[in-house]
Amino acid sequence: MIGHILHINHVSKHFGGNVAVSDISFSVDEKQIVGLIGPNGAGKTTLFNCITGFIHVTSGDIIFDNKKINKLRPDEVCRMGMARTWQRVKPLGSLTVLENVMIGAFSITNAAREAEEIAIEQLDSVGLTDYAKKTAGSLSIGLKKKLELARVLATRPKMLLLDEICGGLNHTETDGILVIIREVRNKGATIVFIEHDMKAVTAICDWIVVLNSGEKLAEGTPEDITKNPEVIAAYLGGGQNA
Amino acid sequence: MLIAITAGIASVLPIVTGENPYVIGVMISVLMMAALSSAWNILGGYAGQYSFGHAAYFGAGAYTTMILISKFNFNPLVSIVAGIIAACIIALITGSIVFRLRGHYFGLASIAVAEIVRLSALNFDFTGGAQGILLSDVSLWGLDLNSKNPFYYGMLLVLVVTLGITLYLRTSKTGFYLQAIREDQDAAASLGINLSFYKNKALLISAALTSVLGSLYAVYIRFIDTSAVLDLRLSIEIILTAIIGGVGTLWGPVLGAVLLVPLAELLRSNVIGDALVKHGIVSETSGLGVFLKENLAHAHVLVYGIITVLCILYLPKGILGLFRRAK
Repeated sequence: MIGHILHINHVSKHFGGNVAVSDISFSVDEKQIVGLIGPNGAGKTTLFNCITGFIHVTSGDIIFDNKKINKLRPDEVCRMGMARTWQRVKPLGSLTVLENVMIGAFSITNAAREAEEIAIEQLDSVGLTDYAKKTAGSLSIGLKKKLELARVLATRPKMLLLDEICGGLNHTETDGILVIIREVRNKGATIVFIEHDMKAVTAICDWIVVLNSGEKLAEGTPEDITKNPEVIAAYLGGGQNA
Repeated sequence: MLIAITAGIASVLPIVTGENPYVIGVMISVLMMAALSSAWNILGGYAGQYSFGHAAYFGAGAYTTMILISKFNFNPLVSIVAGIIAACIIALITGSIVFRLRGHYFGLASIAVAEIVRLSALNFDFTGGAQGILLSDVSLWGLDLNSKNPFYYGMLLVLVVTLGITLYLRTSKTGFYLQAIREDQDAAASLGINLSFYKNKALLISAALTSVLGSLYAVYIRFIDTSAVLDLRLSIEIILTAIIGGVGTLWGPVLGAVLLVPLAELLRSNVIGDALVKHGIVSETSGLGVFLKENLAHAHVLVYGIITVLCILYLPKGILGLFRRAK
């Protein structure tokens, strides 16, 4: 267990009679980049919502940093050092880009001046310095995704959950995001990310977990996963039914 | 800075206007509505939680103060503090229930809570029921509480304090957090913001300030009943003032009050209609003259309503929004 920062232990989530996540277990080591993949409806985002406290698991345990977190609220999970981004970006639209990032930074400081310093530094690291005074709602989708990234990074997370951070971006933008993710990992953070872009996933992930219809189909290194016939059938190649 | 200048100008206004009781009366109404609307703005404008039940906190202050002074002969200042405590208790109960709800449901629930408070005051004996409470005599430090001046400065003081708190909030962690909650509650929670804690904090500040104004108003008028201090109409007037002036801005609610309260007063006293007739522009006996003198005086609520609708349609960011260029 040593080295595991996140441990998903037989987690299930039912919505009424609908089983969204069924008996999933896997672990994430510190400083790993783990990809969570699977077709639409596989339960990836539901699992993220369970981990970050937005919904609570029906059964099973989620252990983060040696503490059970399945009953915590989202803000408590965040203050423990786990931050997330959203598949559909959630900019604080009428606030400026700088203010958005400052709000992230306020989770580690109470002083506005210090929050501003952290925010400025963080904007610089994702290349948004020129947009600091613009309202967040006015940015393009690519810049909004970068803003989300800067905002969660300002909370100085030990672990980062990224929900399709590259979705809707072009190749250049995707590459830019991947460079930032690698840097973040090199500074010591652990990253789990949901992604459909297999090129991005195989390029950056140390480990991949594949979900299908709420169940874990497989996990392994990118090489193993791309060769796994079950994964190919369910997801990558479409299989015989395609 | 601007607050200090405005307060300075406002504090000499009674002297400039020659202490005309009618004018001072209107100015007290302006200051009170400006402060009420600014207090509401902390919760509604910054945290984005539109309370339609702020009359409950105004009434809590007014009733607590009146009961303590008239029945138990309390010092007015002590009874104002007691009013704050009463309002905060109601706010805490309200907050713990209604902040679980989001969006329109929060607004509806806040009306329900305010109506419960109103109906309670109407039916309990110690609140005077439908008769209300009359205060025959009150004194504090030998101030002439029959004059309007102490209340003018009292209202001004509360307004300055409210604006000061708003200004402080804007530059502090709490203010940023409230705005984050207004923009997107899920995003706010995911960034480590304890939603119910900060919403309740905003509600408590807002309710406490509102109750002080209720207390001042009660001692100023010396008579309260549920229709004067607990009515839904009051809650709505507070919101409209903020919306028309500019929600979520420091000066919007003040601007709204400065424009709307005198306007309502003008319409109510029908100054315009009277003037047109007096100067012979419109004959008193003509159809229009009769309309202006008789009907328009009764139609001030209609005119007020039309102006409100026009403002909402054409100035969605309030009058202050006109002067602000988009970033």
